[in-house]
Amino acid sequence: MQNNVKNNKEKRRGLIAVKILENKFYPLYFLIIIVFVAVSLVMVVNNVTRGKIIAERDAAIISQFKVIFSEIEDYKFREEYYEIYGDGDVIGYTFIATGQGYGGEISILVGINTDFTVKKITIITNTETPGLGAKITENFFTDQFAGLSSKDISITRNGGKIDAITGATISSRAVTDAVKSELEAKIEKIKGDN
Amino acid sequence: MTKATDKLTAKKFWREVLKGFVIANPVFVLVLGLCPTLAVTVSLDNALGMGAGVIFVLMGSNLIISLIRKITPKLVRIPVYIVVIATFVTILSLVFEAYLPPLYESLGIYLALIVVNCIILGRAEAFASKNTIILSIADAIGIGIGFTISMLIVSFFREVLGTGQLTIFGRTLFSIPVLSESPLTFFIMPPGAFLVLGLLLALFRWLGVLKNE
Repeated sequence: MQNNVKNNKEKRRGLIAVKILENKFYPLYFLIIIVFVAVSLVMVVNNVTRGKIIAERDAAIISQFKVIFSEIEDYKFREEYYEIYGDGDVIGYTFIATGQGYGGEISILVGINTDFTVKKITIITNTETPGLGAKITENFFTDQFAGLSSKDISITRNGGKIDAITGATISSRAVTDAVKSELEAKIEKIKGDN
Repeated sequence: MTKATDKLTAKKFWREVLKGFVIANPVFVLVLGLCPTLAVTVSLDNALGMGAGVIFVLMGSNLIISLIRKITPKLVRIPVYIVVIATFVTILSLVFEAYLPPLYESLGIYLALIVVNCIILGRAEAFASKNTIILSIADAIGIGIGFTISMLIVSFFREVLGTGQLTIFGRTLFSIPVLSESPLTFFIMPPGAFLVLGLLLALFRWLGVLKNE
């Protein structure tokens, strides 16, 4: 007797389930629910991680600055460039230059002294060919920029002081041209600000 | 559950895992996921990173899709799978960016590209939507590791021939004297990827034919 009641209950529950599954609009409801759940999940995760991601990005920027200005104490964002402070005074500026390389965009962090000569450059991101164009990230190439003023920044073939990497002229030229044009633009901007 | 059925599930589980390594190897046998295999295999590091990402996402998506397989309407199953996969990838990339920035950096764009990796959608449609959760996870592990192994094989040849050396996590494992000075850069470039993958596919076919005879 009790078994019978139980069985009936289960049957009824099964019937309701079948009714829902066979509803004409069930696929629509299902998709809406899935999307709703997915979007809510992503929103929650985004809210939880956002602060941490911003902090990580800041830390990454500072650690990049440290590569160029080892004596950095603080930095200040000035719309298009960063002012670098050490010993309580401005010791230089830094900004990002982007160039079009052989395999895509190359972004370069350029640090300059207060006399507008280059202190150091580092390649932040590139998608150049490994073993060829990707050599632009190596010190033997980037160290050539140290101490140069904007008029000397072009490859030797064009009368400058930068030796292009053998077999990677396009990548070398992309970095050189990007640094040169960005530097010239920023010098104007910095002079205008002060 | 009795001991006998326990043993049976365990046996089935391992069969699904091992299947992905050779007999249902996603790249060389199923010929799925060729796009990342061609694009990412310039170095061993990249292959490992992509493989790890795919294993994570594949396990997550197979789990969820298997879980909802009985209530998923046939009509909208593909959009549902894509939403599930994309959600996983987005969550994964946010978590990686926040808590494992170095890994996030090295995976770069490949992490986002997992969404369109046809292995994930392929396994959702061909396996997870028809099998139990446990077997679906076994399938994800097997296929994921099989994919990683395949990419490691391709990237091994490309990195060694194309740069003359083999590096892993920034440490050089070995360097071939003459080759590292004038490497065959062709193999790092896209045509080299096609050549290496084509030869490996031919090799696997040949081995398969030998075995069947």
